[in-house]
Amino acid sequence: MWDLSGKYAIVGVGESERSKNSGTTPLHLALQAARNAIEDAGLNAKDIDAFMSYSEHDSCTSHQLATYLGVRPRYVKDIMGGGSSTELLIADAVSLIESGQATAVLIFRSMNGRSGVRMGGGGWSTDLLQSAIEGGSFIIPYGMASPSQWFGMFATRHMYEANLTQEHLGHVCVSFYEHAQRNPKAMLHGKPLSMEHYLKTSHLSYPFTKHDFCLETDEANAIIVTSAERAKDCKSRPVFIKGIVAREAHPHAHYWSDLSQVAADYVGERIYENAGIQPEDLDVASIYDCYSWVVLRQLEAYKIASREGLGDFVAQGNLKMGGKLPSNTAGGMLSEGYTHGMNNVLEITRQLRHEYKGTERQVEGCELGLCTGWLGPDAAGAMILNN
Amino acid sequence: MMSIEKTSSKYEKPIPLKTIDNKPYWDAADQHELAIQSCEDCKRAIHPPGPACPHCGSPTIEWINYGSDVTGTIYSFVMTYVPMLPGFQHDLPTIIAQVEVDQMEGVRITANLINAAPEEVAIGKAVKMTWIDITEDRALPQWALMK
Ligand SMILES: [Zn+2]
Repeated sequence: MWDLSGKYAIVGVGESERSKNSGTTPLHLALQAARNAIEDAGLNAKDIDAFMSYSEHDSCTSHQLATYLGVRPRYVKDIMGGGSSTELLIADAVSLIESGQATAVLIFRSMNGRSGVRMGGGGWSTDLLQSAIEGGSFIIPYGMASPSQWFGMFATRHMYEANLTQEHLGHVCVSFYEHAQRNPKAMLHGKPLSMEHYLKTSHLSYPFTKHDFCLETDEANAIIVTSAERAKDCKSRPVFIKGIVAREAHPHAHYWSDLSQVAADYVGERIYENAGIQPEDLDVASIYDCYSWVVLRQLEAYKIASREGLGDFVAQGNLKMGGKLPSNTAGGMLSEGYTHGMNNVLEITRQLRHEYKGTERQVEGCELGLCTGWLGPDAAGAMILNN
Repeated sequence: MMSIEKTSSKYEKPIPLKTIDNKPYWDAADQHELAIQSCEDCKRAIHPPGPACPHCGSPTIEWINYGSDVTGTIYSFVMTYVPMLPGFQHDLPTIIAQVEVDQMEGVRITANLINAAPEEVAIGKAVKMTWIDITEDRALPQWALMK
């Protein structure tokens, strides 16, 4: 088991307004999210001494954020990256505090993901794409430039091997959209999805329809990590990091060369031993959901269902409230909003605090949660949290 | 078969960039042939090509030319109904297939499946490599269903 199990905690979470057009800059959004996280923790901005962010060249810097919170930071770091960067930076935060470089770390993701730089947006030079992506010359000339195609290539093969149908992808979507109906802040609140409607929706990129794609939103999220000792001074109920696998990678940088494995398989091999629990001990999960299929593939990687049992697992409603593992209970990136995974971390933190107690949104008595990050088949990370 | 490419005055789609690591692959493609990198130490085929063997780390690599008679079976595919890159708006859905190549072990090559209707595409179907002349001196390997 991990030496630092239970010694660090998430003590503050916050978000900005969420919209399709913020009308403002990522710095303004980040300030809103950071102030809310600091307030949530019951700290002062000056109690935060390290600031870190991840982005795809579409954010403000940590130094800018700290400056306008009125703080001279001891430590700033901005990394390039999308999915699984939250887990990566939380592991970094733990290391920084453990080694005495910082005492409280604020991690944020801020983006005008709809009105600004869009992930599915295109407009890049195709020569640049060919050189920027490993093996890019072998996919870009064939029109393969979107994660929906890169991941879709894995999905078609995996669905064939696991006997998964379009309807199984639909069960993931329908389950998460159902959660969004309990979350007034979800983009698709008030827009439930029936299986009948799902199955009538045409493909954008086979095997994915628009419902299988995550949303694009303008928003910022922030998380504050500190030691369990320090957490005692915070006003929030701490959510402890029981285990964490910061990152694992696919054997090949050109991960399309081997569709039979994904980085999450390697995380799944380590995370339970690291946290000292078993998959069946989990009460709630946040599973990275940039596409519906990515959830199915991770259910397998994280040993929540066997390859043969994946279809039945989702068809039986196990991702829904009352199921075996209620997941992405705010609606996930398919129907709540999209900050490359951080919104899912906010939600599981609130679930484990029992913040929704007395409402139908609360996963009754949940104590152990799994939070997964997926950059792609190439890289992944995960953490197990407890209250 | 090549009518679209021949009638358009300018090729709008991205043209494969030749690099220090992949040049022999694309040079062979321009001659309507397939060349694949191979490790002289562990003897395994390497694709996409790179600066060393990703299987064993050996820097000693060679190129093997397999000629123009290349076949395989569809291992996976996607079919995209919106253009993701310039030029593909004329070509929807864009069918992209990853094919397990018969002539060597462990190599899967991704290309468009040309002249195929979406309902004809399935994992396990037999295909052969064909080359489309995209400019005066460049050619692009593609897959076509064996009929
Ligand atoms: Zn080798």
